[in-house]
Amino acid sequence: MQAITVENLSKTFRVKRKEKGMRGSIKAILHPQTEEIRAVNGVSFSVDEGEMLAFIGPNGAGKSTTIKMLTGILYPDGGRVEVLGIDPMKKRKQLAYRIGTVFGQKEQLWTHLTPYDNFRFFGAIYDLSERETEERIAELSERFELNAFIDTPVRNLSLGQRIRCEIVASLIHKPKVLFLDEPTIGLDPVVKENVRELIKQMNREEHTTIFLTSHDVGDIEKLCRRIIIVNDGQIVLDDSVERLKSHYQDKMAADVYARSQESGMAEKYEEAPNISLEEILVDIYRSEEDG
Amino acid sequence: MLTAAKNQLRVCLLSMKYNMMREMVNKVTFLTNVCFMVLNNASILVQWIILFRLREDVGGYTFREILFLWGLTAASFGLSHILFARAFSLSDLIIRGKLDSYLVQPKNVLVSVLTSSTDISAIGDFLYGVALVCACRPGVGGFFLFLLFTVTGTAIFTAFALLLGSLSFWFVRMDILQGQMVMGAVSFATYPDGIFEGISRFLLYFIVPVGMAVWYPVHVIVSFHAGMFFAVLGYACALSVTAVAVFYRGLKRYASGNLMEARM
Ligand SMILES: Nc1ncnc2c1ncn2[C@@H]1O[C@H](COP(=O)(O)OP(=O)(O)O)[C@@H](O)[C@H]1O
Ligand SMILES: [Mg+2]
Repeated sequence: MQAITVENLSKTFRVKRKEKGMRGSIKAILHPQTEEIRAVNGVSFSVDEGEMLAFIGPNGAGKSTTIKMLTGILYPDGGRVEVLGIDPMKKRKQLAYRIGTVFGQKEQLWTHLTPYDNFRFFGAIYDLSERETEERIAELSERFELNAFIDTPVRNLSLGQRIRCEIVASLIHKPKVLFLDEPTIGLDPVVKENVRELIKQMNREEHTTIFLTSHDVGDIEKLCRRIIIVNDGQIVLDDSVERLKSHYQDKMAADVYARSQESGMAEKYEEAPNISLEEILVDIYRSEEDG
Repeated sequence: MLTAAKNQLRVCLLSMKYNMMREMVNKVTFLTNVCFMVLNNASILVQWIILFRLREDVGGYTFREILFLWGLTAASFGLSHILFARAFSLSDLIIRGKLDSYLVQPKNVLVSVLTSSTDISAIGDFLYGVALVCACRPGVGGFFLFLLFTVTGTAIFTAFALLLGSLSFWFVRMDILQGQMVMGAVSFATYPDGIFEGISRFLLYFIVPVGMAVWYPVHVIVSFHAGMFFAVLGYACALSVTAVAVFYRGLKRYASGNLMEARM
Protein backbone atom coordinates (compact mmCIF):
# COMPACT_ATOMS: atom_id res chain seq x y z
CA MET A 1 0.00 0.00 0.00
CA GLN A 2 1.25 3.45 -0.83
CA ALA A 3 0.99 6.19 1.77
CA ILE A 4 1.90 9.04 -0.54
CA THR A 5 1.69 9.35 -4.32
CA VAL A 6 2.79 12.49 -6.08
CA GLU A 7 2.66 13.01 -9.82
CA ASN A 8 4.10 15.92 -11.68
CA LEU A 9 3.51 18.29 -8.80
CA SER A 10 4.20 21.99 -9.41
CA LYS A 11 3.92 25.27 -7.57
CA THR A 12 4.90 28.70 -8.76
CA PHE A 13 5.02 31.75 -6.51
CA ARG A 14 4.60 35.20 -7.94
CA VAL A 15 6.51 37.85 -6.09
CA LYS A 16 6.45 41.57 -6.79
CA ARG A 17 9.69 43.10 -7.86
CA LYS A 18 10.67 46.56 -6.90
CA GLU A 19 13.77 48.50 -7.78
CA LYS A 20 15.51 50.51 -5.13
CA GLY A 21 14.48 53.98 -4.04
CA MET A 22 11.60 56.34 -4.71
CA ARG A 23 11.87 55.88 -8.42
CA GLY A 24 11.55 52.14 -8.05
CA SER A 25 8.47 52.55 -5.87
CA ILE A 26 6.71 54.73 -8.40
CA LYS A 27 7.69 52.43 -11.23
CA ALA A 28 6.36 49.49 -9.26
CA ILE A 29 2.99 51.21 -8.90
CA LEU A 30 2.71 52.19 -12.56
CA HIS A 31 4.14 49.02 -14.08
CA PRO A 32 4.01 46.30 -11.46
CA GLN A 33 6.67 43.74 -12.24
CA THR A 34 6.14 40.25 -10.99
CA GLU A 35 8.69 37.55 -10.94
CA GLU A 36 7.83 33.89 -11.01
CA ILE A 37 9.56 31.49 -8.71
CA ARG A 38 9.11 27.87 -9.66
CA ALA A 39 9.39 26.49 -6.17
CA VAL A 40 8.32 22.97 -7.15
CA ASN A 41 8.63 21.95 -10.75
CA GLY A 42 7.21 18.63 -11.89
CA VAL A 43 7.98 16.40 -8.94
CA SER A 44 6.87 12.74 -8.92
CA PHE A 45 7.50 10.06 -6.32
CA SER A 46 5.70 7.67 -4.03
CA VAL A 47 6.23 6.53 -0.48
CA ASP A 48 5.23 3.15 0.92
CA GLU A 49 3.24 2.79 4.09
CA GLY A 50 5.59 2.52 7.07
CA GLU A 51 8.56 3.86 5.12
CA MET A 52 10.91 6.51 6.48
CA LEU A 53 11.92 8.91 3.74
CA ALA A 54 14.48 11.70 3.83
CA PHE A 55 13.49 14.53 1.51
CA ILE A 56 16.51 16.75 1.31
CA GLY A 57 18.17 19.46 -0.72
CA PRO A 58 19.85 22.86 -0.37
CA ASN A 59 17.99 25.87 1.05
CA GLY A 60 15.24 27.05 -1.27
CA ALA A 61 15.07 23.73 -3.11
CA GLY A 62 11.33 23.43 -2.58
CA LYS A 63 11.13 20.97 0.33
CA SER A 64 8.84 22.97 2.57
CA THR A 65 6.63 23.94 -0.36
CA THR A 66 6.23 20.26 -1.22
CA ILE A 67 5.30 19.38 2.36
CA LYS A 68 2.78 22.22 2.41
CA MET A 69 1.10 20.84 -0.68
CA LEU A 70 1.04 17.32 0.77
CA THR A 71 -0.60 18.53 3.97
CA GLY A 72 -3.26 20.75 2.38
CA ILE A 73 -1.74 24.12 3.30
CA LEU A 74 -0.97 25.19 -0.26
CA TYR A 75 -2.90 24.60 -3.47
CA PRO A 76 -0.68 23.11 -6.17
CA ASP A 77 -0.65 24.77 -9.60
CA GLY A 78 -0.45 21.44 -11.33
CA GLY A 79 -0.07 17.73 -10.80
CA ARG A 80 -1.72 15.21 -8.55
CA VAL A 81 -1.29 14.42 -4.86
CA GLU A 82 -2.70 11.59 -2.83
CA VAL A 83 -1.91 11.01 0.81
CA LEU A 84 -3.48 7.85 2.26
CA GLY A 85 -5.68 7.82 -0.80
CA ILE A 86 -7.00 11.32 -0.06
CA ASP A 87 -6.57 14.43 -2.18
CA PRO A 88 -5.45 17.13 0.29
CA MET A 89 -7.20 19.85 -1.69
CA LYS A 90 -10.57 18.17 -1.91
CA LYS A 91 -10.75 16.54 1.52
CA ARG A 92 -8.47 18.64 3.67
CA LYS A 93 -10.26 17.96 6.96
CA GLN A 94 -10.58 14.24 6.39
CA LEU A 95 -6.85 14.05 5.70
CA ALA A 96 -6.01 16.19 8.71
CA TYR A 97 -7.43 13.53 11.04
CA ARG A 98 -4.90 11.05 9.74
CA ILE A 99 -1.65 12.98 9.40
CA GLY A 100 0.62 14.84 11.79
CA THR A 101 2.90 17.79 11.05
CA VAL A 102 5.91 19.23 12.83
CA PHE A 103 7.54 22.39 11.52
CA GLY A 104 10.82 22.92 13.33
CA GLN A 105 10.79 26.63 12.60
CA LYS A 106 7.19 27.27 13.55
CA GLU A 107 5.34 26.99 16.78
CA GLN A 108 2.03 25.23 16.98
CA LEU A 109 1.72 25.30 20.77
CA TRP A 110 0.21 28.05 22.90
CA THR A 111 3.14 29.42 24.83
CA HIS A 112 1.24 30.65 27.88
CA LEU A 113 -0.22 27.20 28.51
CA THR A 114 1.37 24.09 29.94
CA PRO A 115 2.10 21.17 27.62
CA TYR A 116 -0.68 19.29 29.36
CA ASP A 117 -3.31 21.95 28.53
CA ASN A 118 -1.97 22.15 25.00
CA PHE A 119 -2.33 18.41 24.53
CA ARG A 120 -5.90 18.58 25.80
CA PHE A 121 -6.61 21.26 23.23
CA PHE A 122 -5.19 19.09 20.47
CA GLY A 123 -7.24 16.19 21.77
CA ALA A 124 -10.36 18.33 21.31
CA ILE A 125 -9.26 19.35 17.84
CA TYR A 126 -9.06 15.71 16.81
CA ASP A 127 -12.39 14.85 18.48
CA LEU A 128 -10.87 12.54 21.08
CA SER A 129 -12.93 12.01 24.19
CA GLU A 130 -11.60 13.20 27.54
CA ARG A 131 -10.61 9.67 28.43
CA GLU A 132 -8.88 8.92 25.15
CA THR A 133 -6.98 12.20 25.45
CA GLU A 134 -5.88 11.49 29.02
CA GLU A 135 -4.72 8.00 28.11
CA ARG A 136 -2.82 9.19 25.11
CA ILE A 137 -1.17 12.02 27.05
CA ALA A 138 -0.13 9.59 29.79
CA GLU A 139 1.27 7.16 27.25
CA LEU A 140 3.18 9.74 25.20
CA SER A 141 4.53 11.74 28.12
CA GLU A 142 5.84 8.49 29.56
CA ARG A 143 7.49 7.54 26.32
CA PHE A 144 8.84 11.03 25.53
CA GLU A 145 9.79 11.65 29.17
CA LEU A 146 7.79 14.84 29.54
CA ASN A 147 6.57 14.22 33.06
CA ALA A 148 9.14 16.52 34.66
CA PHE A 149 7.84 19.60 32.85
CA ILE A 150 4.35 18.73 31.66
CA ASP A 151 2.88 21.37 34.01
CA THR A 152 5.33 24.16 33.17
CA PRO A 153 4.15 26.85 30.73
CA VAL A 154 5.64 26.22 27.29
CA ARG A 155 7.37 29.60 27.17
CA ASN A 156 9.52 28.54 30.10
CA LEU A 157 10.75 25.37 28.43
CA SER A 158 14.05 24.85 26.68
CA LEU A 159 14.05 24.45 22.90
CA GLY A 160 14.63 20.73 23.20
CA GLN A 161 11.75 20.25 25.63
CA ARG A 162 9.57 22.37 23.40
CA ILE A 163 10.24 20.41 20.24
CA ARG A 164 9.50 17.19 22.10
CA CYS A 165 6.16 18.68 23.09
CA GLU A 166 5.53 19.79 19.50
CA ILE A 167 6.09 16.24 18.34
CA VAL A 168 3.84 14.79 21.02
CA ALA A 169 1.10 17.30 20.12
CA SER A 170 1.27 16.12 16.53
CA LEU A 171 1.01 12.49 17.61
CA ILE A 172 -2.02 12.79 19.90
CA HIS A 173 -4.37 11.38 17.27
CA LYS A 174 -2.13 8.50 16.16
CA PRO A 175 -1.45 9.81 12.65
CA LYS A 176 -0.64 7.31 9.93
CA VAL A 177 1.79 9.70 8.26
CA LEU A 178 4.05 12.15 10.06
CA PHE A 179 5.56 15.11 8.18
CA LEU A 180 8.61 16.62 9.85
CA ASP A 181 10.14 19.76 8.37
CA GLU A 182 13.60 20.25 9.89
CA PRO A 183 12.57 18.93 13.30
CA THR A 184 16.07 18.89 14.75
CA ILE A 185 17.04 22.44 13.76
CA GLY A 186 18.86 24.22 16.57
CA LEU A 187 18.94 21.27 18.95
CA ASP A 188 22.00 20.04 20.81
CA PRO A 189 23.40 16.61 19.88
CA VAL A 190 21.87 14.80 22.85
CA VAL A 191 18.38 16.12 22.22
CA LYS A 192 18.78 15.43 18.51
CA GLU A 193 19.61 11.85 19.26
CA ASN A 194 16.64 11.68 21.61
CA VAL A 195 14.23 13.04 18.99
CA ARG A 196 15.54 10.61 16.39
CA GLU A 197 15.05 7.71 18.74
CA LEU A 198 11.45 8.78 19.33
CA ILE A 199 10.69 9.11 15.64
CA LYS A 200 12.16 5.69 15.04
CA GLN A 201 10.08 4.27 17.85
CA MET A 202 6.89 5.77 16.39
CA ASN A 203 7.68 4.16 13.11
CA ARG A 204 8.41 0.79 14.67
CA GLU A 205 5.55 0.61 17.11
CA GLU A 206 2.74 2.40 15.34
CA HIS A 207 3.94 1.78 11.81
CA THR A 208 3.85 5.51 11.12
CA THR A 209 5.09 6.62 7.72
CA ILE A 210 7.76 9.28 8.18
CA PHE A 211 8.39 12.08 5.69
CA LEU A 212 11.39 14.02 6.90
CA THR A 213 13.31 17.03 5.67
CA SER A 214 16.55 17.91 7.36
CA HIS A 215 19.97 19.37 6.79
CA ASP A 216 21.35 17.10 9.43
CA VAL A 217 23.12 14.12 7.95
CA GLY A 218 22.75 12.30 11.26
CA ASP A 219 18.97 12.45 10.96
CA ILE A 220 19.12 10.93 7.52
CA GLU A 221 21.63 8.22 8.32
CA LYS A 222 20.07 7.16 11.58
CA LEU A 223 16.47 7.19 10.38
CA CYS A 224 16.02 6.75 6.69
CA ARG A 225 16.68 3.98 4.26
CA ARG A 226 15.61 6.01 1.29
CA ILE A 227 16.63 9.46 0.23
CA ILE A 228 15.18 11.90 -2.31
CA ILE A 229 17.32 14.88 -3.21
CA VAL A 230 15.65 17.93 -4.72
CA ASN A 231 17.18 21.01 -6.21
CA ASP A 232 15.51 23.97 -7.88
CA GLY A 233 12.15 22.29 -7.48
CA GLN A 234 13.17 19.09 -9.23
CA ILE A 235 14.18 15.66 -8.06
CA VAL A 236 17.80 14.95 -8.84
CA LEU A 237 18.11 11.64 -7.03
CA ASP A 238 15.76 9.04 -5.57
CA ASP A 239 17.58 6.03 -4.18
CA SER A 240 18.45 4.14 -1.03
CA VAL A 241 21.08 5.69 1.21
CA GLU A 242 22.95 2.42 1.03
CA ARG A 243 23.18 2.43 -2.75
CA LEU A 244 24.04 6.10 -2.89
CA LYS A 245 26.97 5.43 -0.59
CA SER A 246 28.25 2.33 -2.32
CA HIS A 247 27.85 4.03 -5.68
CA TYR A 248 30.01 6.89 -4.49
CA GLN A 249 32.43 4.51 -2.87
CA ASP A 250 32.84 2.71 -6.18
CA LYS A 251 33.27 5.94 -8.04
CA MET A 252 35.89 7.08 -5.56
CA ALA A 253 37.63 3.77 -5.81
CA ALA A 254 37.59 3.98 -9.57
CA ASP A 255 39.02 7.50 -9.41
CA VAL A 256 41.76 6.41 -7.06
CA TYR A 257 42.41 3.39 -9.21
CA ALA A 258 42.65 5.52 -12.33
CA ARG A 259 45.01 7.91 -10.63
CA SER A 260 47.13 5.12 -9.21
CA GLN A 261 47.31 3.55 -12.66
CA GLU A 262 48.62 6.82 -14.03
CA SER A 263 51.26 7.10 -11.37
CA GLY A 264 52.10 3.42 -11.62
CA MET A 265 51.17 2.42 -8.08
CA ALA A 266 48.40 -0.03 -8.92
CA GLU A 267 48.68 -2.02 -5.69
CA LYS A 268 47.42 0.92 -3.59
CA TYR A 269 44.07 1.48 -5.28
CA GLU A 270 41.98 -0.34 -2.68
CA GLU A 271 42.91 2.30 -0.14
CA ALA A 272 40.16 4.60 -1.37
CA PRO A 273 39.16 6.81 1.62
CA ASN A 274 35.86 6.06 3.33
CA ILE A 275 33.57 8.78 2.13
CA SER A 276 30.85 10.12 4.45
CA LEU A 277 27.29 10.94 3.47
CA GLU A 278 27.98 14.56 4.33
CA GLU A 279 30.75 14.71 1.75
CA ILE A 280 28.58 12.98 -0.82
CA LEU A 281 25.81 15.54 -0.35
CA VAL A 282 28.22 18.45 -0.58
CA ASP A 283 29.51 16.95 -3.79
CA ILE A 284 26.02 16.54 -5.25
CA TYR A 285 24.85 20.02 -4.22
CA ARG A 286 28.03 21.54 -5.67
CA SER A 287 27.73 19.76 -8.98
CA GLU A 288 24.09 20.87 -9.21
CA GLU A 289 25.17 24.45 -8.69
CA ASP A 290 27.62 24.19 -11.55
CA GLY A 291 25.28 22.37 -13.88
CA MET B 1 -23.27 16.75 10.94
CA LEU B 2 -24.55 17.42 14.43
CA THR B 3 -21.56 15.78 16.12
CA ALA B 4 -19.25 17.73 13.82
CA ALA B 5 -20.89 20.97 14.96
CA LYS B 6 -20.68 19.86 18.57
CA ASN B 7 -16.99 19.04 18.23
CA GLN B 8 -16.33 22.37 16.55
CA LEU B 9 -18.11 24.14 19.38
CA ARG B 10 -16.04 22.25 21.94
CA VAL B 11 -12.85 23.47 20.27
CA CYS B 12 -14.15 27.05 20.04
CA LEU B 13 -15.08 27.14 23.70
CA LEU B 14 -11.76 25.69 24.74
CA SER B 15 -9.93 28.14 22.50
CA MET B 16 -11.90 31.01 23.99
CA LYS B 17 -11.15 29.83 27.51
CA TYR B 18 -7.44 29.64 26.74
CA ASN B 19 -7.52 33.08 25.15
CA MET B 20 -9.14 34.52 28.24
CA MET B 21 -6.56 32.79 30.39
CA ARG B 22 -3.82 34.46 28.41
CA GLU B 23 -5.39 37.87 28.80
CA MET B 24 -6.17 37.37 32.44
CA VAL B 25 -2.74 36.26 33.57
CA ASN B 26 -2.69 39.64 35.19
CA LYS B 27 -6.09 40.27 36.73
CA VAL B 28 -5.34 43.86 37.63
CA THR B 29 -4.43 44.78 34.05
CA PHE B 30 -7.53 43.00 32.85
CA LEU B 31 -9.89 44.89 35.14
CA THR B 32 -8.17 48.20 34.44
CA ASN B 33 -8.57 47.56 30.72
CA VAL B 34 -12.27 46.85 30.97
CA CYS B 35 -12.95 49.81 33.26
CA PHE B 36 -10.87 52.12 31.14
CA MET B 37 -12.92 51.18 28.08
CA VAL B 38 -16.13 52.04 29.89
CA LEU B 39 -14.72 55.38 31.09
CA ASN B 40 -13.31 56.14 27.69
CA ASN B 41 -16.70 55.59 26.08
CA ALA B 42 -18.50 57.54 28.77
CA SER B 43 -16.27 60.57 28.41
CA ILE B 44 -17.37 61.12 24.81
CA LEU B 45 -20.96 60.94 25.96
CA VAL B 46 -20.35 64.11 27.94
CA GLN B 47 -19.80 66.00 24.70
CA TRP B 48 -23.21 64.95 23.51
CA ILE B 49 -24.87 65.98 26.74
CA ILE B 50 -23.40 69.45 26.29
CA LEU B 51 -24.48 69.53 22.65
CA PHE B 52 -28.04 68.66 23.54
CA ARG B 53 -28.11 71.41 26.17
CA LEU B 54 -27.63 73.77 23.25
CA ARG B 55 -29.96 72.19 20.69
CA GLU B 56 -33.15 70.21 20.62
CA ASP B 57 -32.04 67.64 18.06
CA VAL B 58 -28.94 66.81 16.07
CA GLY B 59 -29.39 65.41 12.57
CA GLY B 60 -32.97 64.44 13.43
CA TYR B 61 -31.93 62.54 16.57
CA THR B 62 -33.08 63.18 20.09
CA PHE B 63 -30.74 62.53 22.97
CA ARG B 64 -32.45 59.23 23.68
CA GLU B 65 -31.86 58.08 20.13
CA ILE B 66 -28.23 59.07 20.37
CA LEU B 67 -27.98 56.83 23.39
CA PHE B 68 -29.49 53.94 21.41
CA LEU B 69 -27.01 54.66 18.63
CA TRP B 70 -24.13 54.53 21.06
CA GLY B 71 -25.45 51.53 22.89
CA LEU B 72 -25.91 49.50 19.75
CA THR B 73 -22.54 50.48 18.28
CA ALA B 74 -20.69 49.67 21.49
CA ALA B 75 -22.51 46.37 21.99
CA SER B 76 -22.02 45.19 18.38
CA PHE B 77 -18.42 46.34 18.26
CA GLY B 78 -17.81 44.76 21.66
CA LEU B 79 -19.38 41.42 20.84
CA SER B 80 -17.59 41.12 17.50
CA HIS B 81 -14.28 41.81 19.27
CA ILE B 82 -15.00 39.34 22.04
CA LEU B 83 -16.00 36.48 19.75
CA PHE B 84 -14.21 37.16 16.47
CA ALA B 85 -11.34 39.50 17.29
CA ARG B 86 -9.14 37.78 14.73
CA ALA B 87 -11.32 39.00 11.86
CA PHE B 88 -10.00 42.47 12.54
CA SER B 89 -6.36 41.49 12.12
CA LEU B 90 -6.86 38.89 9.41
CA SER B 91 -4.75 40.77 6.87
CA ASP B 92 -1.73 40.38 9.03
CA LEU B 93 -2.22 36.62 9.39
CA ILE B 94 -2.58 36.19 5.65
CA ILE B 95 0.35 38.37 4.67
CA ARG B 96 2.68 36.79 7.19
CA GLY B 97 1.57 33.28 6.30
CA LYS B 98 0.18 32.40 9.70
CA LEU B 99 -2.79 30.34 8.57
CA ASP B 100 -0.71 27.15 8.30
CA SER B 101 -1.53 25.77 11.72
CA TYR B 102 -5.28 26.18 11.15
CA LEU B 103 -5.05 24.49 7.77
CA VAL B 104 -3.57 21.30 9.20
CA GLN B 105 -6.36 20.96 11.76
CA PRO B 106 -9.43 18.87 10.93
CA LYS B 107 -11.74 21.75 11.71
CA ASN B 108 -13.37 24.53 9.76
CA VAL B 109 -10.54 26.93 8.92
CA LEU B 110 -12.59 30.09 9.01
CA VAL B 111 -14.25 29.34 12.34
CA SER B 112 -10.93 28.35 13.92
CA VAL B 113 -9.23 31.49 12.65
CA LEU B 114 -11.98 33.91 13.64
CA THR B 115 -12.27 32.56 17.16
CA SER B 116 -8.54 32.25 17.71
CA SER B 117 -8.22 35.43 19.73
CA THR B 118 -10.28 37.52 22.09
CA ASP B 119 -10.09 41.21 22.78
CA ILE B 120 -10.70 41.39 26.49
CA SER B 121 -11.24 45.13 26.74
CA ALA B 122 -14.20 44.68 24.36
CA ILE B 123 -16.07 43.22 27.31
CA GLY B 124 -16.06 46.79 28.60
CA ASP B 125 -17.54 48.06 25.34
CA PHE B 126 -20.21 45.41 25.34
CA LEU B 127 -21.30 45.98 28.94
CA TYR B 128 -21.30 49.73 28.40
CA GLY B 129 -23.54 49.35 25.34
CA VAL B 130 -26.03 47.15 27.16
CA ALA B 131 -26.06 49.51 30.15
CA LEU B 132 -26.72 52.55 27.96
CA VAL B 133 -29.66 50.93 26.24
CA CYS B 134 -31.11 49.70 29.52
CA ALA B 135 -30.82 53.23 30.89
CA CYS B 136 -33.11 54.41 28.09
CA ARG B 137 -35.85 52.02 29.21
CA PRO B 138 -36.50 50.52 25.77
CA GLY B 139 -39.25 48.18 27.03
CA VAL B 140 -39.26 44.43 26.56
CA GLY B 141 -39.89 44.55 22.79
CA GLY B 142 -37.30 47.25 22.31
CA PHE B 143 -34.77 45.31 24.34
CA PHE B 144 -35.26 42.19 22.26
CA LEU B 145 -34.90 44.22 19.10
CA PHE B 146 -31.71 45.64 20.55
CA LEU B 147 -30.37 42.15 21.22
CA LEU B 148 -31.26 40.99 17.73
CA PHE B 149 -29.62 44.03 16.17
CA THR B 150 -26.55 43.49 18.31
CA VAL B 151 -26.28 40.10 16.65
CA THR B 152 -26.80 41.48 13.13
CA GLY B 153 -24.43 44.35 13.91
CA THR B 154 -21.81 41.87 15.11
CA ALA B 155 -22.30 39.89 11.90
CA ILE B 156 -22.00 43.03 9.77
CA PHE B 157 -18.88 44.38 11.49
CA THR B 158 -17.21 40.95 11.47
CA ALA B 159 -18.16 40.22 7.86
CA PHE B 160 -16.96 43.65 6.78
CA ALA B 161 -13.58 43.08 8.44
CA LEU B 162 -13.41 39.56 7.03
CA LEU B 163 -14.16 40.80 3.53
CA LEU B 164 -11.52 43.52 3.62
CA GLY B 165 -9.02 41.21 5.31
CA SER B 166 -9.57 38.50 2.71
CA LEU B 167 -8.57 40.92 -0.04
CA SER B 168 -5.04 40.42 1.32
CA PHE B 169 -5.00 37.14 -0.56
CA TRP B 170 -4.88 39.29 -3.71
CA PHE B 171 -3.32 42.56 -2.62
CA VAL B 172 -0.61 43.19 -0.11
CA ARG B 173 -0.86 46.24 2.07
CA MET B 174 -4.54 45.56 2.67
CA ASP B 175 -3.73 45.40 6.36
CA ILE B 176 -3.59 49.18 6.62
CA LEU B 177 -6.81 49.66 4.70
CA GLN B 178 -8.57 47.01 6.76
CA GLY B 179 -7.72 48.73 10.01
CA GLN B 180 -8.65 52.19 8.72
CA MET B 181 -11.96 51.19 7.18
CA VAL B 182 -13.15 49.30 10.23
CA MET B 183 -12.19 52.05 12.65
CA GLY B 184 -13.78 54.56 10.27
CA ALA B 185 -16.99 52.57 10.22
CA VAL B 186 -17.14 52.51 13.97
CA SER B 187 -16.58 56.22 14.41
CA PHE B 188 -19.14 57.10 11.73
CA ALA B 189 -21.58 54.84 13.50
CA THR B 190 -21.56 57.09 16.53
CA TYR B 191 -22.97 60.07 14.60
CA PRO B 192 -26.60 60.51 13.51
CA ASP B 193 -27.15 59.62 9.86
CA GLY B 194 -29.08 62.88 9.33
CA ILE B 195 -25.87 64.86 9.15
CA PHE B 196 -24.67 62.93 6.10
CA GLU B 197 -26.14 63.59 2.67
CA GLY B 198 -25.86 62.47 -0.93
CA ILE B 199 -22.95 60.30 -1.91
CA SER B 200 -21.45 60.06 1.56
CA ARG B 201 -24.80 58.87 2.88
CA PHE B 202 -24.95 56.20 0.19
CA LEU B 203 -21.38 55.12 0.96
CA LEU B 204 -22.10 54.88 4.65
CA TYR B 205 -25.15 52.76 4.10
CA PHE B 206 -23.73 50.28 1.64
CA ILE B 207 -19.96 50.42 1.38
CA VAL B 208 -18.93 51.13 4.94
CA PRO B 209 -21.93 49.33 6.35
CA VAL B 210 -22.76 51.67 9.19
CA GLY B 211 -26.30 52.38 8.02
CA MET B 212 -27.28 48.76 8.11
CA ALA B 213 -25.40 47.99 11.30
CA VAL B 214 -26.76 50.81 13.48
CA TRP B 215 -28.77 53.58 11.80
CA TYR B 216 -31.63 51.48 10.42
CA PRO B 217 -31.77 49.40 13.61
CA VAL B 218 -32.07 52.54 15.75
CA HIS B 219 -34.94 53.75 13.58
CA VAL B 220 -36.61 50.37 13.97
CA ILE B 221 -36.16 50.32 17.74
CA VAL B 222 -37.58 53.82 18.08
CA SER B 223 -40.58 53.14 15.82
CA PHE B 224 -40.95 49.75 14.21
CA HIS B 225 -40.68 49.66 10.44
CA ALA B 226 -40.97 46.24 8.75
CA GLY B 227 -39.17 47.27 5.55
CA MET B 228 -36.10 48.49 7.41
CA PHE B 229 -36.22 45.49 9.73
CA PHE B 230 -35.98 43.00 6.90
CA ALA B 231 -33.49 45.13 5.01
CA VAL B 232 -31.12 44.85 7.98
CA LEU B 233 -31.55 41.08 8.28
CA GLY B 234 -31.14 40.61 4.55
CA TYR B 235 -28.08 42.81 4.40
CA ALA B 236 -26.42 41.04 7.35
CA CYS B 237 -26.93 37.65 5.69
CA ALA B 238 -25.84 38.80 2.25
CA LEU B 239 -22.68 40.49 3.53
CA SER B 240 -21.76 37.45 5.64
CA VAL B 241 -22.22 35.05 2.74
CA THR B 242 -20.19 37.27 0.44
CA ALA B 243 -17.38 37.64 2.96
CA VAL B 244 -17.17 33.88 3.57
CA ALA B 245 -17.17 33.19 -0.18
CA VAL B 246 -14.39 35.70 -0.79
CA PHE B 247 -12.34 34.23 2.05
CA TYR B 248 -12.56 30.71 0.64
CA ARG B 249 -11.87 31.94 -2.85
CA GLY B 250 -8.78 33.70 -1.60
CA LEU B 251 -7.62 30.74 0.46
CA LYS B 252 -6.78 28.95 -2.79
CA ARG B 253 -4.24 31.69 -3.42
CA TYR B 254 -2.80 31.47 0.08
CA ALA B 255 0.97 31.45 -0.24
CA SER B 256 1.90 30.52 3.31
CA GLY B 257 5.14 32.09 4.42
CA ASN B 258 8.77 31.26 4.44
CA LEU B 259 11.63 32.45 6.52
CA MET B 260 13.64 33.21 3.41
CA GLU B 261 11.21 36.00 2.76
CA ALA B 262 12.10 37.76 5.98
CA ARG B 263 15.75 37.80 5.06
CA MET B 264 15.26 39.26 1.59
N1 LIG C 1 5.29 32.20 0.29
C1 LIG C 1 6.24 32.33 -0.64
N2 LIG C 1 6.25 33.41 -1.45
C2 LIG C 1 7.19 33.55 -2.38
N3 LIG C 1 8.20 32.69 -2.59
C3 LIG C 1 8.26 31.59 -1.81
C4 LIG C 1 7.28 31.37 -0.80
N4 LIG C 1 7.59 30.20 -0.17
C5 LIG C 1 8.69 29.73 -0.77
N5 LIG C 1 9.11 30.55 -1.75
C6 LIG C 1 10.29 30.35 -2.64
O1 LIG C 1 10.18 29.07 -3.20
C7 LIG C 1 11.45 28.42 -3.17
C8 LIG C 1 11.36 27.13 -2.37
O2 LIG C 1 11.17 27.44 -1.01
P1 LIG C 1 11.04 26.33 0.13
O3 LIG C 1 10.06 25.30 -0.30
O4 LIG C 1 10.76 27.02 1.40
O5 LIG C 1 12.50 25.71 0.15
P2 LIG C 1 13.20 24.74 1.21
O6 LIG C 1 12.20 24.35 2.24
O7 LIG C 1 13.68 23.59 0.39
O8 LIG C 1 14.34 25.50 1.79
C9 LIG C 1 12.44 29.43 -2.63
O9 LIG C 1 13.04 30.08 -3.72
C10 LIG C 1 11.57 30.39 -1.86
O10 LIG C 1 12.14 31.66 -1.84
MG1 LIG D 1 12.21 24.71 4.30
